[in-house]
Amino acid sequence: MSPLSRRGFLAASAAGGTALATALSGCSSSSSTPPGTTTIKHWDWYVSQEPWLKNEIQLFQKAHPKIRIKRTVQVSDRYPDLINLAFRGGEAPDMLMIPSSPKFEEQVADGWLRPLDGFATPQWRGRFPAGNFFNGVDMVENKVYSAPFGGNAPWLQLYIHNGLFKQAGITNPDGSARLPRTWDDVTAAAEAITSKSGGRSYGLGFGNVPNVSLPWWVELFVRGAGSPAGYGVDGLDYRVGKWTFGSDRNYADFLELLLEWKKKGYIYPSSMSIGDEQARAFFERGKFGMIVGGVWNQTTWTQHHFTDYSLTTLPSPTATPKAFFYYPPGGRVWALSQHSKVSDAAWQWFDWLHGPAAGQRWVEAGQGLSIFPEANQRARINSQAFRAFVDLRKYAMPWPVPAIRNPDVSKVVVPAVTPDLPDVLTGLYTGQLKDMGAALSDLEDRRNKALADGVKEARAKGAKVSLSDWVFTDWDPTRPYQNKPA
Amino acid sequence: MALLVSSSRRDRTPARRRAAVRRTAGRSLIHLLLLVGGLLWLFPFLWTLGSSFKSADGFFSRGLNPFPDGVHLSNYSGAWKGASFGTYFVNTVLVAGGSVVLTLLATSMAGYVLARTDFPGRKACIGLISVTLFLPHGYTIIPVFDIVRGLHLLNTLWAVIIVQSSSSLVFATFLFMGYFSTMDREIEDAAKVDGAGFHQTFWRVMLPLSGPMLATVGLFTCISAWNSFFVPLVFTLSKPELRTLPVGMYSFVGQNSTDWTFLCAGSVISLVPIVAVFLLLQRYFVNGLAGAVKG
Amino acid sequence: MQLLDTATPKPPTDGLGAAHRAAPPKNGRWRRLVAGRLSYLYLAPLMVLLLLFVVYPIFGSLAYTFYRWNGIGSPGDFVGLDNFRQIAHDSIFWRAVSHTFVYSIVVVPVQLAIALVLALVLNDRKLRFSAFYRTLFFLPVVTSPAVVGVVVQLMLSNFGDTLNGWLLDAHLIGRPVDWLGNPRIALGIIIVVGIWQTLGYNLVYFLAGLQTIPEEVYEAAKIDGAGHVRTFVNITVPLLRPVGLMIVILAFIGSFQVFDLVQVLTGGGPYFGTEVVNTYIYHLAFGGNQAAATEPNVGLASAASFFYGLLLIGFSVLQVLIFRSLAKRRAAGRA
Repeated sequence: MSPLSRRGFLAASAAGGTALATALSGCSSSSSTPPGTTTIKHWDWYVSQEPWLKNEIQLFQKAHPKIRIKRTVQVSDRYPDLINLAFRGGEAPDMLMIPSSPKFEEQVADGWLRPLDGFATPQWRGRFPAGNFFNGVDMVENKVYSAPFGGNAPWLQLYIHNGLFKQAGITNPDGSARLPRTWDDVTAAAEAITSKSGGRSYGLGFGNVPNVSLPWWVELFVRGAGSPAGYGVDGLDYRVGKWTFGSDRNYADFLELLLEWKKKGYIYPSSMSIGDEQARAFFERGKFGMIVGGVWNQTTWTQHHFTDYSLTTLPSPTATPKAFFYYPPGGRVWALSQHSKVSDAAWQWFDWLHGPAAGQRWVEAGQGLSIFPEANQRARINSQAFRAFVDLRKYAMPWPVPAIRNPDVSKVVVPAVTPDLPDVLTGLYTGQLKDMGAALSDLEDRRNKALADGVKEARAKGAKVSLSDWVFTDWDPTRPYQNKPA
Repeated sequence: MALLVSSSRRDRTPARRRAAVRRTAGRSLIHLLLLVGGLLWLFPFLWTLGSSFKSADGFFSRGLNPFPDGVHLSNYSGAWKGASFGTYFVNTVLVAGGSVVLTLLATSMAGYVLARTDFPGRKACIGLISVTLFLPHGYTIIPVFDIVRGLHLLNTLWAVIIVQSSSSLVFATFLFMGYFSTMDREIEDAAKVDGAGFHQTFWRVMLPLSGPMLATVGLFTCISAWNSFFVPLVFTLSKPELRTLPVGMYSFVGQNSTDWTFLCAGSVISLVPIVAVFLLLQRYFVNGLAGAVKG
Repeated sequence: MQLLDTATPKPPTDGLGAAHRAAPPKNGRWRRLVAGRLSYLYLAPLMVLLLLFVVYPIFGSLAYTFYRWNGIGSPGDFVGLDNFRQIAHDSIFWRAVSHTFVYSIVVVPVQLAIALVLALVLNDRKLRFSAFYRTLFFLPVVTSPAVVGVVVQLMLSNFGDTLNGWLLDAHLIGRPVDWLGNPRIALGIIIVVGIWQTLGYNLVYFLAGLQTIPEEVYEAAKIDGAGHVRTFVNITVPLLRPVGLMIVILAFIGSFQVFDLVQVLTGGGPYFGTEVVNTYIYHLAFGGNQAAATEPNVGLASAASFFYGLLLIGFSVLQVLIFRSLAKRRAAGRA
């Protein structure tokens, strides 16, 4: 190798090297932390909840000057992949939001999560209302891995546009917009709004891209009619231990009604072409009078100073809902990493977020309810709509959790089915699926078979489970269920 | 044409004038079509640009009208701050620049020896390279992640650069191969006569002569590195300060999913630099490709 | 391009790697290896990158196809060829394949036709502002699919209403159309956006190809009195064929892997009406749509990906064979 060319070679590689080296290595830590400070790596996927969390971080750091929190917001729909890779690469955060997949028990089995028993003493757990720590919810094999955080209220509501309702003459004697209580009320309101607006507005609207909001309508309407599994994503009908999309008339009845609305032109015609965000913006601008959504709708509307709406939940065939929204007792949002080297500090942060004060600020920020009843009561709520949401909490109650009665249920992996309910709903709505009865029965069969297959496989691996673990004959869907641990 | 030629022989001046008129008319028509077509083609850009200046209400009331209802620069200041585009911008430049340098080095050297030298295994190398173009790229993120971890490069921009570069190596190598294979033997011979060795011939003679190809491959690499989303997301997973524009843009979309004028401003900000790079390089790169496909 | 032997470099019998030494080596494999050492040195960076980050991961993920695995830890549930069987029996997979083919079969010819016509017009050296027009039509290429997705979605929701308004006013439709709610229209929209976004590449390839045709050939044709059409048929087309073939192959390779546009515009819906193979694989690998919390199955996704890869390789071989036999027949016809 001649010296000249070697120099050329070195120069070329140096040009690619030195100039970038400092920035590229990522070693240059920009934050100058005073000595003796502990830094906690914290991951979440909060978007609309971000202001609350940032405020909590500030308050926490003020209260604990020796601890700093380095927060990383991850892309929500890639969060499970990223957290998986992070644990794989030894880069896991100290405090994390528990990803939706894999199953909680598998996260524990793979050694991701730290058992909290040393910190979460019975005394600490006593701050929560009774009946909140269970295997299969926030515990695995009698060890605590997480703690309840949010309080329960119906996660879906029917939002109505006051202006359009008044314009269509659907008012109470005092002139305020009259909330629909029954399916027929919704139909009548949709008809009145559509016909009285002269083609400028529609009765109902949604934004189904990417296949999420149509299931919300089913969830909200069939629960009112008495189908406690809703659209079946959280569980099945525990009275019989099955999914019942085909055999329970309520599903077909509501879908017939939906198609009727579509046929009569009550539904905003581009509902399959837009996303939920756009639908919310169109609702705000009076393009349609009713939309199904959650409390997250209120945040952006508040930002836009749009307050001319009301909300209700569980419209039903008769004026009284026959089934409600259900939750497992307790809950889990946050956990600590098994590999954390700053567990003590991370626990202090965990403890902070799970305290009544942070819970009260959560409610005051309009994010939802707290697990602490006193936080919900004490919170100062300015927004009428959020107050209405808080008042709906009587429609949410605990339901049976098979894994509490038999922990081996956690070992069952239920394979996914395709097409699933969201797909079938879309197919029926667009007319790609013609035979509603057949489509719903087929879906019911495939879902139930998937569960049976999962049980069979778990048994083959030694789990003591059977399909009867999903049957709770003593459950009355109109009352809170008392789960009894095995 | 043939008819025209024979008629022009019979009567020269008026026919020529007529032909000239027809030619100008034809040209004007072509320009008109190209302009109208081009504007239609660019409509999404124009609409985005226009919408980035609209007010939130104007965005809806104006519909497809690209002209804004005023100049709302707050969209830009909001997007710039809200998405920390400043940091992301620097990272993206480093990633795009690094990918371009690495890709150009690896593929020009390989393209050169594959096209101009003979050695045992040359055919096998070409075969291996071609096959990778067709192989299905299944769920490769985990093996790639494991390698990067093994190299202790997680959470560095190096990882992003290396992984990003390796995605477009094959095509670039072929382009360089094609380009070098069309070059005249005499250039090399002349270099040899002047006493240039292997290295000098490549670095001093051949590489400088492949300027158009460097521009072409550089531009293609730059475009894909600039727009890459998944690679920078994964390999900077616990260092958000190393994220690039598309990752920032994605979170930005999530956080401002109902502020479309913000999104339009953000889109414009992330597009401007790459469009500028393209405008700078574009006159070279058609020539570069022309050289590569000549063989 | 070397794939089709259309542009193979002249066999470099004594390239510099060998010629660098005083005498060309004649005997012994070892000698030749030593002689080529600088060539290997120059090839090394590429090969290292390729082997580490392209070849190894592909074969690494091949192993997943035999497992049922959610991507956590290392795969444990060996299922043999079950994943492949499941894919081959899944009607949704085959619908995704057919949508991908429909997409490609529409996009590639239409796009190449537009690109070729544009290239012919823009290649005219007497045409002023040619570079400006080239820039206009190339520009969509530099945009990221994420940005295109946001913009097209936004335009579409406004556009849907606007267009519906026009059509209703003209009494062409009785009631508004839900554009992405109709699978055929939705696929059509994806196709149009697909043509729009990647036309630039093909335009530039064709321009490059046209520039390799020497001006003198055209001059000669003009002197022979050939018209535009005859020049095109007899000169441009034959001389452009090698490059054209490469462009066609690349266009097909690209369009068979269509993903981002579909994902951001429809997510494969409505009811799998626009599901293409890569969205299908994505849904398997990263769980289903957000409404259903399904467990991802990396094994099944990898199997689908490899199965599709095999289909494509088969298709490519078939394509090459057809081109070869056509060429042979033409040669025979000429003789």
